[in-house]
Amino acid sequence: MSEKEDKVPRRFFLEVFGKVAVVVALFAEAFGALKAFIPQVLYEPPSKFKIGKPDDFPEGITFLPEHKLYIFRSGRGFHVVSAICTHLKCVTDWNSSQREFYCSCHGSVFSENGANAEGPAPRPLSWHPLSFAPDGNFVVDTGKKVERYYKFTI
Amino acid sequence: MKERLLLLWRNLTWTWAPDSNRQASEAVVKNFWLHWFPSRISLRGLGWGFSFWLGTISACLFVILALTGLLLLFVYIPSIRDAYWSMKDIDNVVVFGWLLRSQHRWAAQLMVAVVFFHLVRVFFTAAYRDQRVWNWYIGIALFVLTIFLSFSGYVLPWDQLAYWALTIATGIAAELPFFGEDIRFALLGGNILGQSSLIRFFVLHNFFLPALVVILFALHMWRIRKDGGLACMDRLIHETKSKKIPVSPTKTYSLLGVTEGTTIQAATTEILDESNSVRTSPNLTRRIALVLLVTTIATLVLALAFPVGLEEPANPAVTPIPAKAPWYFLWLQELTAITTIKIGGKSISGGLIGGIIIPGILGLLAVVWPFLDRSPKEAIGVWFHKTRNTQNIVFTIICLAVISLIIIGVYMRGPYWKFYWPWQSWPEMPTLF
Ligand code: HEM
Ligand code: FES
Repeated sequence: MSEKEDKVPRRFFLEVFGKVAVVVALFAEAFGALKAFIPQVLYEPPSKFKIGKPDDFPEGITFLPEHKLYIFRSGRGFHVVSAICTHLKCVTDWNSSQREFYCSCHGSVFSENGANAEGPAPRPLSWHPLSFAPDGNFVVDTGKKVERYYKFTI
Repeated sequence: MKERLLLLWRNLTWTWAPDSNRQASEAVVKNFWLHWFPSRISLRGLGWGFSFWLGTISACLFVILALTGLLLLFVYIPSIRDAYWSMKDIDNVVVFGWLLRSQHRWAAQLMVAVVFFHLVRVFFTAAYRDQRVWNWYIGIALFVLTIFLSFSGYVLPWDQLAYWALTIATGIAAELPFFGEDIRFALLGGNILGQSSLIRFFVLHNFFLPALVVILFALHMWRIRKDGGLACMDRLIHETKSKKIPVSPTKTYSLLGVTEGTTIQAATTEILDESNSVRTSPNLTRRIALVLLVTTIATLVLALAFPVGLEEPANPAVTPIPAKAPWYFLWLQELTAITTIKIGGKSISGGLIGGIIIPGILGLLAVVWPFLDRSPKEAIGVWFHKTRNTQNIVFTIICLAVISLIIIGVYMRGPYWKFYWPWQSWPEMPTLF
């Protein structure tokens, strides 16, 4: 009689323990599986790279298609504006007669300093910092942003 | 000899032209391929005019897509360097490759449209009520899967269309608050579109999404049986019961004789007799074969008449002018382009409002609609029942709004997404920066 009464809680304990263990194991497995989707190594160009020496850039605006960047030069002052539209990430075109950037995807227009002037783009184009590498090349860090009107003077 | 061959055929397949009711039901019950069908089918459900067979056409399109896709899989190379050129080879070198590819692409476009019209049919016949609400939900999932399947396929050729459609679509995903950037990162397998993005969409397209479709499709069919057939059966049960035909006490084959009483399946089998139904084999099976045949011919003719092309190879530096998503996404692209709002100095991106919030609301509406629907039971299984006029109008307006946005996106948006009437010509555009 008393033996029987003892057995019930033990069974109950094992049952609950077993179920909890299964659920925990499933969650751990699912978590691990999902983690596999987050890349740990990126096979893409680094976000900080050399773009060339100051003399490579003429007065005015130069577009670097492989980096999707505009390099501005006025005399000794340089700055870098991203060509990636802030709406849905298409690449903008520079219109030299209007002195504006046009996005061909949904028609956003940005002024020369990157401010969003028209269309669906919700934010201005990003500005990125410049620095010098020891070999005299410019280095751009697209992982960082700087305030508008930042200027790198050589 | 002929007898023997016939017997062999019957053992391998089914009793094609059964001599008795018993043979007819055995033909279904004892056959692996047919066991998911009832042994008798109501004339109403079999008719062309109730369901327009849109669900069957969707399934046939899926079969065609799976077969043509499987063949393409042998010659397609999922690498960003080779994908485009393997597509070129499919078009120009592989014998009948262009036909396979065109048929695959046409079937994919048709499938999105047909699945949508199937949903519209279900709505107008109030076939999503009560026990059928599960199939409504499974159907919504199948619709979303169909669109994702089609989109992930669109990415595979890695041409300009693919590259910029993927840019825009993952740009929309990135607008989701909090997790957006992480989701984009996981979808692309990095910060930029590259090899890891292509392989992800390749696996999604060729294994993950089709497998989900197959599983959900099986559930979809099983639910139809559980729910007592198509919605028009509810009317039949109602009308027959009101004529007070006594239920035969000797009938035992309801649910294969396992159960009795008034489950919906029992009610269904009880009222089906010679006057309102026919044997599934060969009446239903023949029709399904006919629908498959016609669907195959239609996709073949479209593929022969309008072989599909390729754009330029993907070029990350040059966005084509204009860059458009596939047509079934253009209503979203249109919304993302026109819904950016500015409050004070802050802007809320159209990517969030038009790309996530508005479609999210539509999805939510589809989920709660069965519970908002207060029309009487008599409306179930009837096209445009008069008690449903208001909700039918609301639904039609939503559908027409989506369709008009698609038409505007396809025909009236030119360079820089500017509005042009179809008869206005677009200005000359420089092709490169
Ligand atoms: C098991 C089923 C499927 C398999 C094995 C499959 C396989 C493939 C393969 C290998 C490609 C790359 C070659 C090409 O682009 O033509 C492709 C492309 C494509 N698939 Fe599928 N597919 C399947 C189902 C679907 C479904 C259900 C849809 C849409 C409803 C779809 C839509 C597309 C589209 C739009 C393309 C792009 C075709 C093109 O650009 O020519 N596929 N598919
Ligand atoms: S991506 Fe530039 S306007 Fe939409």
